[in-house]
Amino acid sequence: MANIATQRIKREFKEVVKSEEVARCAIRIDLVNDSWSELRGEIAGPPDTPYEGGVFALEIVVPETYPFNPPKVRFLTKIWHPNISSVTGAICLDILKDQWAAAMTLRTVLLSLQALLAAAEPDDPQDAVVARQYKEYHNIFKTTAQHWTAVYAGGPNRIAEYENRVTRLIDMGVDELTARAVLSANNWDLERATETIFS
Amino acid sequence: MSAEDQDSECEIEDEDYDNYYLSNEEELELADYKKDPESFQYECLKVEEVEKLLNELVELLSLEINVTPSLAKLLLHTLGWSINEIVCMFRADAHGTLVTAKVKPANNNVPKPLMSHQPPSLNNNNPMCPVCYAHQPVEFFKALACGHQFCKECWSSHFEVQVIEGVSTSIGCMGQDCIVLAPEDFVLALINKPNIREKYQRFAFRDYVKSHPQLRFCPGPNCDIIVRSKEPMAKSVVCHQCKSRFCFKCGTDYHAPTDCETIKRWLTKCADDSETANYISAHTKDCPKCHICIEKNGGCNHMQCYNCKHDFCWMCLGDWKSHGSEYYECSRYKENPNIAYESVHAQAREALKKYLHYYERWENHSKSLRLEEQTLTRIKDRIEVKVMESSGTWIDWQYLIDAANLLAKCRYTLKYTYPYAYYMESGPRKELFEYQQAQLEAEIENLSWKIERAETTDRGDLQNQMDIAEKRRSILLKDFLEV
Repeated sequence: MANIATQRIKREFKEVVKSEEVARCAIRIDLVNDSWSELRGEIAGPPDTPYEGGVFALEIVVPETYPFNPPKVRFLTKIWHPNISSVTGAICLDILKDQWAAAMTLRTVLLSLQALLAAAEPDDPQDAVVARQYKEYHNIFKTTAQHWTAVYAGGPNRIAEYENRVTRLIDMGVDELTARAVLSANNWDLERATETIFS
Repeated sequence: MSAEDQDSECEIEDEDYDNYYLSNEEELELADYKKDPESFQYECLKVEEVEKLLNELVELLSLEINVTPSLAKLLLHTLGWSINEIVCMFRADAHGTLVTAKVKPANNNVPKPLMSHQPPSLNNNNPMCPVCYAHQPVEFFKALACGHQFCKECWSSHFEVQVIEGVSTSIGCMGQDCIVLAPEDFVLALINKPNIREKYQRFAFRDYVKSHPQLRFCPGPNCDIIVRSKEPMAKSVVCHQCKSRFCFKCGTDYHAPTDCETIKRWLTKCADDSETANYISAHTKDCPKCHICIEKNGGCNHMQCYNCKHDFCWMCLGDWKSHGSEYYECSRYKENPNIAYESVHAQAREALKKYLHYYERWENHSKSLRLEEQTLTRIKDRIEVKVMESSGTWIDWQYLIDAANLLAKCRYTLKYTYPYAYYMESGPRKELFEYQQAQLEAEIENLSWKIERAETTDRGDLQNQMDIAEKRRSILLKDFLEV
């Protein structure tokens, strides 16, 4: 890893550790190995959003050319959000692509991601299914995002009715992950979800 | 036939009319109307010539508004290369122009962005670069008009990374949310590696040509010619070097009478629906009378069964007699008038049927064009044999090659009438278009038939057919080619 990249990451690491957001438990960065090229990030779900109460883990890969190229970031914790793939965790955010500037830091990236959770951009989606639900059935979207936060990120509002339907599908021999994903994608319509899985 | 040839022919025609009807204004207008709608003025330039041309513009603007050549270049590139417009804009609002061109930041009182830590101010001789976090002497720092200070080494690494990714003229400041662009001299002064510098200049030149409305790269493989036209339009250009023929506006194959947007839609549609259309790409059909299997090996769609001598149309398999000059309707698609009341399935089927109607004809004429290229080779062989047999000299047979070239030109236009018709709305204008298209198609098939069977040096008949076909083509273009 290039000298400047390592030097930057070390400084940034300290910056995040000392920052006031860490004090509020809003963001956090951990080392994965000694090379400084791979990091683990964490952001708290912003208040007054369906993600409130959840903690989301991020994979951060620092390229050789950092900070002249952006870090590669994806969600490790499963999340239901129009700009984040519900399958891979890939993120659609301009500053992680062409709007990156060398003067930005890991801290600004994490804070931007937190802001993205608070303000989705359904017209520039990463996950088309989620984006459609966001626009057409916004209430279902909100409860689904809450439910996912509870199941995968330790949030408080696990929705019993949704859980029942997942169990029904599991009883039919479907694995839990698929069951939840397909139900979510079908607005929790058990019949249509069954049809999708078995046709 | 090159563009110049057509022009000179055209002029002669105009002059004839001018002299003949000298006093009649109406007729003069008519003569004007007869001007070739495809005529187009352009020149093919080499890279050095274009560099010179661009540099002249840069120099002109830099003298006119008193800015550095590098800044003038950036202004020209971002604002579209029109000196007069830029000078007017600049005189009216210099600051606004520089903001629009991304030379200056929109907000003038950007807080001196030297990061929260230790700003490189006068009382601090070792400020920290906000990119590499290293403390360096003040003279190691540089900034664009926005004032975001970074150390020289970071600037050069930034440029290097961008150039390697193919970015050149759009390289900007490294500051967060800053959109100010780096002018050429700023970049070149900070790039150390010669190969990166060379790449930057090459990419930047490419961007300049692309942003200049009067210039277009020749799309031919490995061709470095740049075509220039003072009146950029969707018209046919033939590269003098590699002979590629393309549309000046969009750079794809020339597509009159269809416009750039429509042909793009059509080609995308064809690519998407290729599987559906695959089954029709078979090369053989059965004779509608004796049902013997026939492979089409020539471009002409007027087929004569080698078995039963039945004359029929390859496209619609109808009797060729009904394809006479009076009643040729094979090119026309007959829409079902009651389709709005049919079920969704029926409508989908109808939509597919309509698309296939046009696609079949489009594809068929593409194939005919390829087959007629082979015909041209055969004609050349045939001429050789004839000349050897002393039946006519090479010059006597020359007209046949002209005829084959004209046929290719006419069929090319005919091919591009199908996407045009597909996207046309029903109505009298479409009826007129399809009538003219049918007329053109009929004459083209007659011409093709005659060329494939030309056995004598009697050229009168063929010449006549050539004139008719070309007239039909130019009439259709005059009426429907919108530029």
